[in-house]
This record gives sequence, structure tokens and C-alpha cells, in this order.
Amino acid sequence: MTRTLLVLLVLSALTFLLTSLAPGDPAEEILRRGGVQPTAESVAVLRGELGLDRPLFSQYLHWLLGVLRGDFGRSHVDRAPVAAEILSRVPATLWLAGVASLIAVGPAVLVSVRAALRPRALDSRIARAVAVTVAAVPPYVVGILLISLVAVGARALPTGGDGSPEAVILPAVTLGLAGTATLLRLLRADLAAVARLPFVKLAVAKGLTARRTVMVHALRAAAPGAITAAGIVLTELLAGAVVVETLFAWPGVGQLAVSAIRQRDIPTVQAYVLLVALGTVLVLALAELCASLADPRTRR
Amino acid sequence: MRARGGARPGAGAVAVAALGTALLAALAACGGQGDAGRAAGALVLAAPRDLVAGPEDPYFTHRTLGVWEPLVTLDGGMRPAPALATGWERSGGGRRWTFTLRTGVRFSDGTPLTAEAVVANVERFRRIAPRPSAFFSLDAGMEAAYGKLTGVRAEGGKVVFTLAEPVADLPARLADFYSMIQAPSAFGAGGEFAGGPVGTGPYTLVSWSKGRQAELAANPGYWGGRPAFDRIVVKTVPDANARVAALRAGEVAGLMDKGALLPGQVAAVAAEGRFRVTRTPSVLTHYLTFNASRGPFADPRLREAVDLAIDRRAIAGTLLAGTATPGAPFLSPIFGALSDPGLRPVHDPARARGLVAAAGRPAGPVSILISSSETGQFPYADIAEVLRADLRAVGLPARVNVAEATKAVMEAGDYDIFLSAYSVPNGDPDYLFRRFLRSDAAWNRERNLGYRSEEFDRLIDRAAAAAGADERRELYHRVQRLLAADRPMIPLAYQDNPVVTSSAVRGLTQSPAYLVDLAGLAPAR
Repeated sequence: MTRTLLVLLVLSALTFLLTSLAPGDPAEEILRRGGVQPTAESVAVLRGELGLDRPLFSQYLHWLLGVLRGDFGRSHVDRAPVAAEILSRVPATLWLAGVASLIAVGPAVLVSVRAALRPRALDSRIARAVAVTVAAVPPYVVGILLISLVAVGARALPTGGDGSPEAVILPAVTLGLAGTATLLRLLRADLAAVARLPFVKLAVAKGLTARRTVMVHALRAAAPGAITAAGIVLTELLAGAVVVETLFAWPGVGQLAVSAIRQRDIPTVQAYVLLVALGTVLVLALAELCASLADPRTRR
Repeated sequence: MRARGGARPGAGAVAVAALGTALLAALAACGGQGDAGRAAGALVLAAPRDLVAGPEDPYFTHRTLGVWEPLVTLDGGMRPAPALATGWERSGGGRRWTFTLRTGVRFSDGTPLTAEAVVANVERFRRIAPRPSAFFSLDAGMEAAYGKLTGVRAEGGKVVFTLAEPVADLPARLADFYSMIQAPSAFGAGGEFAGGPVGTGPYTLVSWSKGRQAELAANPGYWGGRPAFDRIVVKTVPDANARVAALRAGEVAGLMDKGALLPGQVAAVAAEGRFRVTRTPSVLTHYLTFNASRGPFADPRLREAVDLAIDRRAIAGTLLAGTATPGAPFLSPIFGALSDPGLRPVHDPARARGLVAAAGRPAGPVSILISSSETGQFPYADIAEVLRADLRAVGLPARVNVAEATKAVMEAGDYDIFLSAYSVPNGDPDYLFRRFLRSDAAWNRERNLGYRSEEFDRLIDRAAAAAGADERRELYHRVQRLLAADRPMIPLAYQDNPVVTSSAVRGLTQSPAYLVDLAGLAPAR
């Protein structure tokens, strides 16, 4: 617990420093929108208004105290409170990540079980090859392919988040496929390792069918690893959402982050980075907890 | 394992396929409401940025949405044209300007447009400036726009501006953003928006989902008649590929606003018969800026050599894919008569080589600085490479430096040539010259341009107060000839701004300042 808090404190300082020390003057960037050069006076006035003229440590303390109260400051771009803005976009990202995880988990479990049952069968090998291929293609390319084939070509689904329920399919498939590949790799390796354990061999020797051995014993033994893997994949999905949300005009937190970076909206970028870091720490801690519940050996 | 036959061959693969199909089917079934997310019966357009900025912004919405109107707007030649003011008179040598208002105009809340309402808007601007905006910052450039304003008052139904010093072209400076008029009831005591925007335009803002879309409805009381589309939805789609995909998939009927299509996308979209691409000249010009405060380019012969070495035609025609024209006079042709037609682009590598030989080749390669944020909008990385090759060909080896924060690099003096685009949203040349190149301009001093010209300073000061159009034109032509000889900055190319609609929509027009007339859109017969 103390360790987690310390990690978070260091993360907050790094987040603040890295984004604040990034070269360039946000006050000028804000005023320069539209391609017009602002005067030195108005840059100075805005710097004062945004508190950019104070010493860095005092800026950090002010920011950290705000963050602890749930106040991430106001956007440099439109002065709206950052926390409310992020909160309003969280449901869209969670919905996308949730559907994407379903898409990631289903095929990954099926293919890895099949591979454990019959590692040399043609379909296992094809499935593996497909998984490796998919893993090698960046989500951006998968997304563009899906958009041009399914949305533009067949007009079967919308190209992006237009508010309709089916709009989630293409971005979720794009995001999910990236997770499938990771999960499949980890799960298959785990199952293969478990299959070599003595108790599985014993089960087989006692006449249990291969299917039952894998489904009941091996999967269970491989579960802690799989849960950890799922945690990793979930954090990957949240991070990958940045690319996918931009590509599909999906109104989530990732798209907000990209436009904030483009506009050098530092308070929004800081809040995003800190929350993603916090989310990662929490998800991994939760995965560790679940894994220990699933595996009595780690509970000591 | 022994019992391999326990599973039917291929069962796994079948199960995977079945699960995948089931998931997709389940998800599609969730979409039972069909196209509910798409606004039924409305015209749907997309723009790269949110054209609504919200209550904290001095304007709330971009001018292009047609929610509010200004006193004065600009025509296609960037000349002041009537909007809510039907005419204006100058007296006292430019110290007093009287604006006559259009009659029978009402705000969307039903209250009439009066001279007092106009005065309240101008006074609000002066009170809240400087104030940043997503569209057009109200900063100390307020003085460049309004001059030294001593008073603004309503007089017999007209609006009178009185100035301490003459301003020759007040209407042009006030055009569009600087003369937005909304109902005084739209603002609270501090000048902030009390609720939504209350303007006089053809549309009203019905709903707004930040970063996603704005929905407009026709204003039934509009003085100019009812527009053809009752409802318009403008979506925000920041990614250029996503925008074109939405257009091709028929989800949006058009793309508009600055950077709607990237130069590289124009040809392909225009080639499809079901779209109409409209290209209009814009206020945006690509410039090369020299660091003449040190090193090689303090020598005017080398600045001239660069000017002659550049193949502007190749850059405009090939790299910018014909969406730009080669630059020569400092003011692009959209400034009309103010642009000096006597200046032409010259590409003469042989003479450039001679100049480099005479001046002496620099000790190391010169640096070409570009901003990483601009490379997403224009092919600056490619242009910089072509510039590098052009310069090397005349004996000036160069390297390209892509920086995130070009301001810091320039202030440190760590550059030789800077490539960037600038625009003048209100079309006023004084705005540009005074901020960039006057000897005391912050941009000039802080970024080490090293341009000091008393003659330039004198000429732009005289032009700002010049009473007659002829005198003004003559002064600005002299300014441009001076800049063409001194070369503190050189115009590389004048950028077009392409916008597109499906052929089911007609009437798309766009001004050089990227203003699209939404009320002019209509279904094609």
C-alpha cells in the first residue's frame, strides 16, 4: 500500500514535470490559434492568469493539492474544468474497452485451448499464424482496412462514433484484435507449460480425456497467469484507445488526450497521463489479487 | 496425449468463428434503433475542429455557423462589405466613423437590433480583452483593430466611433470577429455568456456536445429569409482520414473549415464524380523566415541566393499537390489591389550559385527549422527536403531540424531558416506588418529576425493613416518592393483551402477567411 502510494506520488511529480517542462509557451500557443501572432503583452497577461509565471515547485504543489481534491484545473483551451471533461468521456472509453476485451478474450481462449489439445493440427497452426500476423499489424492499419472495407465499401457499419449502438463494432474489433494476439501468446505458453506438469501427466495416465484434462485441470492451473495477462491486455487496450479513438472519431478519453496534445492543453494532458498511470497501477494490482485468489500457492 | 480424438477435427476453429459471428450479431442487434444517432432529415457536415467553443469563449461559436453576424464582413477580395451595417461614413480625416444599421433585424430571442445593442457589444469587447479564443483571440491587437478608441455611442439609430488618431480603414479592421453582435441579454455583468449565444444569423445553436457535434436550427425570424436546410449538424472529426472515410461512406454530406482536406487528398476526392470540391484562395501563406541576426543570412546576398534557388513551382504544384500557387509579393493575391502585381517568382539557380560564390560558402550546413505540429497539416517534412536539395544545388549545404517548440529554438537563435504558415483573419495588412516586421515588433526582436528598416517602419505607419485608397495601395506596393529587396521573410506559396460536398448538395461557398455560408447550402435538384 505504502509502495503504491509512493509510486503514485513519483508518477504525479514526473507527469507534472514532463508536461510542464516540455518546450514551448502554452500561453503563446493558445493565443496563436488561427495563425495570428499575439503581442508580448497579451502573452504576459495570459501567463499570469494561468499561473505560469509562478515558480515551478509552487505550481506543482498547487496542482497536486487540487488533484487530491479531484480538481485537475481548467483547460487552457476553453477554460472548462478538466475533471468534468474527462469524466464525461470515460463512459465512451469504458464501453469501447469492454466490448474490445470480449472480442479479445473469446478467440484467445478458444484458440489457445484448441492449440493445447492438438498442437500439431492444421487448424491450430492456422490459428497461430493468423494470431501472429494480426499481432504484427498495427491497430491503425487494421482500423483503416476495416473502415475502407466494411464502412466505406460495404456501408455495413458507421465509420466512427456517431452515437448509434452499432458504431462500437469496428473500433472494438480493431482494438480487440490487438489484445487477442497478446492474450493468445501468453495463454498458449502457459497452457503448454502446464501440460508438462506432473499432475496433468498423472491425470492423463489415469485415463482422463484430453479435453477434460485441459479444460478442468490445465486451464485452472494456468488461470493466474491468464489473469495477469488479462490485466496487461486491459491496460494495453486503454492505452491503444488513443489511436483507435482518433481513427474512428470515438468521443472517449483517448481522443480528448490527442486533441489536448495537439493544442498543448497541458492541464488536460497532465490529468490524462496521471489517470492512465493510476489506472494501470490499479488494474495490475487488481490482477495480482485475483491471481493470488485463483492460485492458493501465492497466498502465503 | 492419448485421447486426441476427444475433440472433433476443426471444432476449435469452428467455435472461434461461431463465437466471433455471435458477438458481432449480438452487437448489431443492440443497434436496433438503426440510424437513431444520425440526425434524421438534417444536413450533416464535418469539420476538423469544434466550431463551437462554449460560454468561456468571447464568441461562443465560430462565425461560420451563422449563429451571430458582424457589423462588417469581407467580400471575396477581402474588401469590407455590409453585414449588419449597411453603410459607413468617415469624417474628421478618419477620426470619426458612423455606421448605419440594417433595419428590421431581430435577435433570435425576438428583441430588435439597435445601435445601443451594438455599442454594448463593442464595450464588452473592450472590457474583456485580452481574452484568448479558440478562433480569434481578443488580445492587445484590439488596438490594431479599433485604433485609439475614445468612444463608441448610439446617435440617432446609428453607431459612432470616435478615435484619438485617424484610422483609414476601420470597417476592414472590424470585419467579422471584431464586430460580432449578439443581444446584450446574452451576456452577464462581467461580459461572460449568460446562456447560449443570441445572434441575428440564419441559424441558432440548438445543442452542442463538446468535441462531438453542434446542431443548428433555422432561425425563423431571420431577416435574410429562411435557409434551405431546417437543421444542420456539424460533427467534429479531427483525423483527416476519418473525415474522408465518413464522406465516402455517405455519413456526412460535406467537409468544411480550415484544413478540411489535406493537399494530398484533394485530387482523389475531386476525381470521384459524386463529390464537388470547391477550392478557394485563403488568407494562409507559407513563408520562409531568415535569422539575419547572425551567421550566413546576415549577408543579404545569401538571402537572395536562397530566394533564387527555390523552385516554388515544384513546391506549390507537386508537394502541395496544386492546392497552392507560387509566392512572390508579400501580400497574396487575395489582398486584391494591395498586393503588388509587379513582383514575380524568379527561379535562377545559376545566379544563386554566383551569389554564394561571391559571398563565400558558410562554414557549416544551414539549418531549416520546421514545427512538428505543422507537419500534420502540410507536407512540411517533404518541402524542407526539397528546399535542402535546392540549396545544396547552389552550394549551400543544409540540414532539416524538426522541433516541437519552434519558438524556443528561434528565441535561442538556433536556426537559419524557418518554414511556417501565417494568416491574417481580418485581411488587414497592417496587422501582419506591424506584428512581424516592424523594427520594434516582438516577433522580429525575440526571434532574431534582425530586420531593422526605418523606411519600412515609416511606410507602414503612413499607410495605416492614409486617407485615400490610391495612396494606401501605393504605400503598400512600396512596402512589398522593399521587402522583396530586403528579404527578412519570403513568401513561398499561397495556400488554397479546399472544401467538399456530395453532389446532392449545392451552393457551397467559402471566403478566404474560411467562412462557409451555411445558409447558401441547398439540396441539388
